[in-house]
Amino acid sequence: MNQGEDRWGCQGLSVRYGATVALEDVTFEAPAGTVAAVVGGDGAGKTSLLRALAGTVRPAAGTVRRPAARRLGYVSAGPGVWTDLTVDENLGFAGRAYGLSADELDRRVGWLLDRTGLAEARDRLAGRLSGGMRQKLALAMAVAHEPDLLILDEPTTGVDPVSRAELWRLLASSAADGAAVVVATTYLDEAERAATVLLLDRGRTLLAGTPDEVLAATPGLVVEGTARPEGLASWRRGARWRAWSPDGSAPPGTSPVTLDLEDAAIVAQLREDPGRAA
Amino acid sequence: MNAEPRSPGGPAGAGPEPPEALAEAAGATKRFGELLAVDRVDLAVAAGEVVGLIGANGSGKTTLIRMLLGLVAPTAGRVRLFGEPPSLGTRARLGYVPQSLGLYEDLTVAENLAFSAAAYGSSEAVLQGELAEARDVLVGDLPLGLRRRAAFAIALGHHPDLLVLDEPTSGVDPLQRARLWETIRASAEQGAGVLVTTHHLSEAEQCDRVVVLASGRVVAAGTLDEVIGDATAVEVRTPTWEAAFAALDLAGLPVSLVGRTLRVPGADPDRVGRLLADAGVPAEVASVAASFEETFVVLAS
Amino acid sequence: MWAMAMKEFRQMRRDRRTLAMMILLPVLLLVVFGYAASFDVDRVKTVVLGPRAVQVAAALPDRLDVVRVAPGEGRQAAVEALRDADATVAVVAGDGGQPQVLVDGADLFSARAVVTELRGRPGLPTPEVLFNPGLETSAIMVPGLMGVVLVFVGTIATALGVVRERQSGTLEQLAVMPFRARDVLAGKLLPYLGVAVVDLAVIVAVGVLLFDVPFNGSPLVFALGAVEFLFVTVGIGVLISTVSETQGQAIQLAIMTMLPQILLSGLIFPLQAMAPGVRWIGYLLPLTWFVQLARGVMVRGAPFEALLLPLAMLAVLGAVVFGLSIARFRRDLAPAGRHRDADSDAADQAEAAPSRAGAR
Repeated sequence: MNQGEDRWGCQGLSVRYGATVALEDVTFEAPAGTVAAVVGGDGAGKTSLLRALAGTVRPAAGTVRRPAARRLGYVSAGPGVWTDLTVDENLGFAGRAYGLSADELDRRVGWLLDRTGLAEARDRLAGRLSGGMRQKLALAMAVAHEPDLLILDEPTTGVDPVSRAELWRLLASSAADGAAVVVATTYLDEAERAATVLLLDRGRTLLAGTPDEVLAATPGLVVEGTARPEGLASWRRGARWRAWSPDGSAPPGTSPVTLDLEDAAIVAQLREDPGRAA
Repeated sequence: MNAEPRSPGGPAGAGPEPPEALAEAAGATKRFGELLAVDRVDLAVAAGEVVGLIGANGSGKTTLIRMLLGLVAPTAGRVRLFGEPPSLGTRARLGYVPQSLGLYEDLTVAENLAFSAAAYGSSEAVLQGELAEARDVLVGDLPLGLRRRAAFAIALGHHPDLLVLDEPTSGVDPLQRARLWETIRASAEQGAGVLVTTHHLSEAEQCDRVVVLASGRVVAAGTLDEVIGDATAVEVRTPTWEAAFAALDLAGLPVSLVGRTLRVPGADPDRVGRLLADAGVPAEVASVAASFEETFVVLAS
Repeated sequence: MWAMAMKEFRQMRRDRRTLAMMILLPVLLLVVFGYAASFDVDRVKTVVLGPRAVQVAAALPDRLDVVRVAPGEGRQAAVEALRDADATVAVVAGDGGQPQVLVDGADLFSARAVVTELRGRPGLPTPEVLFNPGLETSAIMVPGLMGVVLVFVGTIATALGVVRERQSGTLEQLAVMPFRARDVLAGKLLPYLGVAVVDLAVIVAVGVLLFDVPFNGSPLVFALGAVEFLFVTVGIGVLISTVSETQGQAIQLAIMTMLPQILLSGLIFPLQAMAPGVRWIGYLLPLTWFVQLARGVMVRGAPFEALLLPLAMLAVLGAVVFGLSIARFRRDLAPAGRHRDADSDAADQAEAAPSRAGAR
């Protein structure tokens, strides 16, 4: 079922709600068989981008390439499950909504319950599941019909680490089956696992590309020291301070560090708005 | 799994003599009917340090916090705040920011501040920067980052000796997260003790020490390096990751995708190599140091 | 303690819906009890028929407000006049003997007033009460209560049912699934409509079997009126749901629409007893027309032609309200340039994040 040539995504996308600009000129690609991460804090525009991709919000400008509604899977940022239905009933509803036949439904539900470890909770009300299990259920509902494009809005925020690891395994498995997976997250260490990353800040693109490309594209040097380096834009990392040296020199008392995505993101934000103090 | 805390020198971490604890749990246990929510947990937070409490849902994290706050009495063991059992008097020295921030959304920042100051009988905290500009904005209308900062500022308003923060940076962007941690660190430097809970394992880096809970028990405690110890993972590099993933997944291994490489925490590299060879997937297999997250998953299962 | 009071005061000031309720409700009750709440009917519509109609009409007591004098018509016409609610009292003045005075028992309070008055005056004939000869309150209250049940199920249940999706955040999930807006709405409403129909059937059965409430007219006409009325109440329910974020808000609005209807629709206090300045409000309320229809069909056995006015009013109200509610609901569900209002997304995310963190 993998059409490897499908490239879903958007070009020059802008989204506005009345006078508020949620997204401005964002270009983003979600190739089939990969996991793409959309990163940013609250208000960055992640949800708007995902909604535009899913088709629940019409763009003010730009184009969106998405499959037909029946070939799309979506996990919203809220619970996304019907809390007064059981796990089984939720899956049944989703399956029927996407047009699965009774046989297909049976087969898929059984497989999904095993895969997500929810088999024992089959008859439990969704409202009584822990956060992690609820997210797994929402994911199962979104992949029941084997979509071409799978969109998840912050599926791991507030979820316990064990469930989070399991969720990512499920996402990888979806990608392995050929779906294009788009995940919004505020966690940069998760973004590092993705094949491509898009960092949004206040509706605009700050960084885009594979994690390696993004790191390589960060200018200057990031240094680390025990005291707050003077004259440089700096931030706390654990018990130490990091700073960004645009000209590539390391001030006394500091030493260069190997960049990770979090550093790259912070540098990008600082470059965008140097005056952004606490 | 492993109930022994993995740290040298006892529960308070390294050092010949543990500093006086602002908050302390010794053998704290809580039973709800049949359910054992917290099982003989030792925990201590001293002045000037940031301790991270990490645990899955259902690990007893919330109950433990509630015991420390005095909202729930332990079934067994001992809980102390500032050297005495939690009471009305100890509340004044405590600053707590719950997950839901504890702010009234239909009041402005200034009004929330006034309420808190009046409740604690302290003077109002001084707002700075962006927060000061947002004084008269309804909390419900603020973006999350500012809301979190407002919640912090208000909790710090009465100069508490101990700060308890539940998931303090959930949902904010990296720069704001760094700034929030600056505030947390600054409080610690000024002498407060800080207890932070988080799901976000990379935030464990920000803490002086971590305590890892699973199923109500402490499964690891100490600095990050101590906790990871020498756990390893197997890293698989292959051009056809889908096939490799499928093969390892089928064998029941906890394989995860990181970028374009696969990682299998706690596995035997030889076994992985054999499985891949049997499946006809060409790959490079190597043993690497495990990340904290991978260690946690192994510990918690 | 003062700090607490201060905070509550500030919050209360901003909660517009509750404030509105706290102010409007007493005003409503004041209006009702000042001008509307009365069981005393001053003037009762009367027709006088038969050969000696003119003479008899002149001699009738003041309370009987003669609206038509028709010497050419007889008792048959009199019965029809009462059945079609053209008048409450019909006097048939034949050539000889006492005139016959027929009174519509379905117009309960008017009927009681007339009967009492006429009994006290010698020389005037004993009135004959048609349609509810026992002047039982239950006979007219039960049809009215059916209307209340439909209002309840239609408005509150649908408001809650739809708001529940919004409140739990699953409305967004539905928007992405391959559903058309009308599928979602129809699917959502069907169970409630089913319950409403069952409720209605039970009340009719209990009323007829247990309380001897008559059902003299055509069940088809009744069903038609009930269906039209349901469209109106369900439409109001869906409209309420489109302007409510939480179930609490939905209930507040629902109560504010139910209470005036119960008090001013003629259900309890007869419309004719209300001061004219307030009576017109009653004619705007859907329940008023349903009550007229229900009483007309069940107690009087009025035919379809006589009930055209209530049926037409309900049809118009139904079309307008239901149409409006669908349009609004579709906006919520289908892609649009404006998802809700201006800064909803920022508010959504800000709203979603702490509650997510709190929920897990």
